[in-house]
Amino acid sequence: MANNASVIGRTTKVRGRVTGAVDLHVEGFVDGEIAVSGDVTVDAHGLVGASVQGRRLVVRGAVKGDLLGEEAVVLEDGARVVGDVRAPRVAIASGALVRGYVETGEGNGAPSRASRGEAARSAPQVRAAPPPPKAAAKPAAAVHVAGGGGSSNNSGGRAAARRPPPPVVPALKKAKGQIAKKKER
Amino acid sequence: MASTVIGAGITVEGEITTDEDVVVSGTVRGKLSAKEAVTIEHGATVEADVTGGSLVVAGSLTGNVVANERVDLQQGARVIGNVKAARVTIADGAQFKGNVDMDV
Repeated sequence: MANNASVIGRTTKVRGRVTGAVDLHVEGFVDGEIAVSGDVTVDAHGLVGASVQGRRLVVRGAVKGDLLGEEAVVLEDGARVVGDVRAPRVAIASGALVRGYVETGEGNGAPSRASRGEAARSAPQVRAAPPPPKAAAKPAAAVHVAGGGGSSNNSGGRAAARRPPPPVVPALKKAKGQIAKKKER
Repeated sequence: MASTVIGAGITVEGEITTDEDVVVSGTVRGKLSAKEAVTIEHGATVEADVTGGSLVVAGSLTGNVVANERVDLQQGARVIGNVKAARVTIADGAQFKGNVDMDV
């Protein structure tokens, strides 16, 4: 086991990609993607500047990038995460700071940016249900019903997708604009 | 006690810089700069220029090496590249192709 343990030490900087099939312990700085099939621990002194992928991720340090756990993501006290968090189980302890989209549940092995946007549009994340395919298939229909939500997604772009989905309270002006545009076409 | 370990099964593609000891049992491609001891263990693959305080190689290393103190190529080591250090030893059974510069 000790032979398999990989450690990026405190004063170590890695610029580039780290891949492999074993556990990884980050106490230093990794500016690059981490993708291992074992567990990843980002220590309190650890700093990762890109996405992290692994079986079970435990974060006590800072990550600027998406976290994708095959089994679980555990953000402990002192963790600072700017990025999306996805895993079957996500734990965020008191004292952990997160800015990004969080999704728990099965079936999000390799999420794309598009699927993330759909999920944000369709359902509040508390339900953790996969977005109904209808939402993906008929975005145009959704514009009529949900007016403001649809237009804010069009204009807000990524900022809107990163926040939890807004309540469906149509902004009337925008809704009118949207309909007017429809008619013009 | 090494503080940074690139374990067997881990691949790092890019640049590693550190002030502490490094042990490589896995794969490193790119560049490896350390101030203290660097150990490339048997079974490890390093395709990188390596700088360090001292270097012990038992695995495979392709790249140029500069060490402040010494470089030891152990039995089973396979090194292709130029080596520059105040002291260089090559053990019987080590494969080596490159220039040696002990003129520090």
